[in-house]
Amino acid sequence: MLASCEATVLMPDGVALHARPAGLFVRTAGSFRSEITVSSGGRSANAKSILSVMALGARGGTALELRAEGEDAERALTALTACVSGLLE
Amino acid sequence: MEKMVGIVLVSHSAELARGLAAVAAQVAGPDVRIEAAGGDPAGGLGTSADRVEEAIRRAAAGAGVVVLVDLGSAVLTVRDILEDRADGSVRLADAPIVEGAVAAAVTAATGQPLEAVLQAAEEARDARKL
Repeated sequence: MLASCEATVLMPDGVALHARPAGLFVRTAGSFRSEITVSSGGRSANAKSILSVMALGARGGTALELRAEGEDAERALTALTACVSGLLE
Repeated sequence: MEKMVGIVLVSHSAELARGLAAVAAQVAGPDVRIEAAGGDPAGGLGTSADRVEEAIRRAAAGAGVVVLVDLGSAVLTVRDILEDRADGSVRLADAPIVEGAVAAAVTAATGQPLEAVLQAAEEARDARKL
């Protein structure tokens, strides 16, 4: 069954989606089958594409809106929300 | 764990290839094989077919290899090598080397097949930084 889920998660203060954190985020997204988009500041990116996620330029304290569609959408967003909340630098 | 596509970085400069391998590994994590093949055997700037062949052997884990190149003779050297390999398990990406290497390595880290890793590298042609 195709499920669709949305979630919003706040980037921790002092953390930006630059190369290493974006790599963690994209690898987490890539471990799910669902199609996942991440939006910030009015722009959207494929959550499985490192270059488009980095181009969002999301900084600490900004909200990321996550949307997943697919059989594992809910699990994907749970994992990604935890991933973003746990980013340290 | 499933086999991952390996990545080979071919540059005229050994330092550039090694440094880029380090950057890509930091973004993609420790599980992907990212091999640098830079410089000529005498330690100068250039490309070495032997170095590229060795790097391809080290990167190959059974799921294929994507090769990224910087400029000019690096392209020609890799094309010559790949002409002798008809099995399609080693592919040259038509992509900018820095963005392409990072995109390919991260995609490989998620266990995607050769075509998907190649495509991720080549999508870097259109990726904007801003």
